[in-house]
Amino acid sequence: MDVKLVNPFIDAFTTVLPQMGFPTPQRTGMTVNQQNAVSQGVAVIVGFTKEIRGNVVYNMSEETAKFIASTMMMGMPVESFDEMAQSAISEMSNMLTANAATNLTALGLEVDISTPSLTVGSDFQIKISNEQYLSVIMDVSGHQVEIDIAVKQ
Amino acid sequence: MEKVKVMVVDDSRISRMMVSSMLAKTNFEVCAMAENSAEAVALYAKTKPDVVTMDMNLPDADGIECTRRIHAIDPKAKIVMISAMKDAKLIMQGRMAGIGSFLQKPVSTNELIDTLMIMCNENVGAVAVYRESYVTTFAKVLQQSLLSIFGIKSEIEISQNEDSVVRVNGVAAVIGIVGEPKGRVALYMDSDTMYSLSRAMLGMDPQDDLSADEAEAAIEEAGNIIAGRAVSRVNDVFKDKEMRITPPGTVIGTDIILSNPELISFNVIAKTSYGDVHMSVGFARGV
Repeated sequence: MDVKLVNPFIDAFTTVLPQMGFPTPQRTGMTVNQQNAVSQGVAVIVGFTKEIRGNVVYNMSEETAKFIASTMMMGMPVESFDEMAQSAISEMSNMLTANAATNLTALGLEVDISTPSLTVGSDFQIKISNEQYLSVIMDVSGHQVEIDIAVKQ
Repeated sequence: MEKVKVMVVDDSRISRMMVSSMLAKTNFEVCAMAENSAEAVALYAKTKPDVVTMDMNLPDADGIECTRRIHAIDPKAKIVMISAMKDAKLIMQGRMAGIGSFLQKPVSTNELIDTLMIMCNENVGAVAVYRESYVTTFAKVLQQSLLSIFGIKSEIEISQNEDSVVRVNGVAAVIGIVGEPKGRVALYMDSDTMYSLSRAMLGMDPQDDLSADEAEAAIEEAGNIIAGRAVSRVNDVFKDKEMRITPPGTVIGTDIILSNPELISFNVIAKTSYGDVHMSVGFARGV
């Protein structure tokens, strides 16, 4: 697992979120994992392929998802994680991954990304790789988003 | 589903062959081929096609005149013009004569099929196009793969999933689709079905030990194979498209909701003796 291939995803997160009205996210942790990831409540899976193949998961609690959706919708209160909030989180995941794809192109690696798959539920497992993958914890205004990245060259 | 009958009118044998070969693997059936206007009118009356593809240049009258003659015997005739030229004057004259749609040669397979489908059912839009052009292929491949991978027969049902929400109790292999159109497919089932199918896939007896990891990996691989085959099949028909799949991501657990309101999605259920195997196929809106 090449860290060089992971930075484009982290850079995308720190670049795109401020454009949507968030303070600059801080990276607060990074681990190499083998075991399946565990959903924190809301997990969006985005697949990519072409010169490198893999999956990225944006994994967060429902509270965090509602906070992000609310901020994206100009502070509109989000009481429940309804269809509109789900669309916001899907769209954010799409933007983040598209931005990461652009960053990867700058490294000479073209990738095409799939539509995001949003999953909701508690404590279910997410398997994105048979090998090791990287988890990065990003802090956004005290809310944690875990980005799980599995890349194969 | 009943085949949709198409009559091809073109003076060039090669053009007629190209259109028929494009329609060969689809739900359309070429019921008649005419090389001139007189033959077109006679064959229309005889075979009553659902839709006609019309060339502009015909030896005895042009495609617009031929359209008028066909409309004289059937005012509801659906005609799409396929010609080398496609300019505003031609389109205006053609519309007045009753031509519903215009395509320019060389016509691509998906352009032709999507146009014919929309013409045959004016009230349908992207939903029907996705269903007929892609989802039926995914469903057929699911059925064939269940037989070839697991050795089981199945009954297939397809329905549109209006709210695009899928509930998973067990395992779901989620595979992204990139290219045109973008989307994702999820193969999912309950745990019992997962274990039964995985044992069948690995040639194991019901009492043989199979870990959850292995069973999940088997379903993931099956999802990967099925999605890959389906996408290849679609690419084979729509030669100008190149859809590809991303590696599978698998979710495992109970009460998992897979929600993609932004997609137009369909549920495919394969009923088998081991339990129901579900496949959700969703595509981004906008053909």
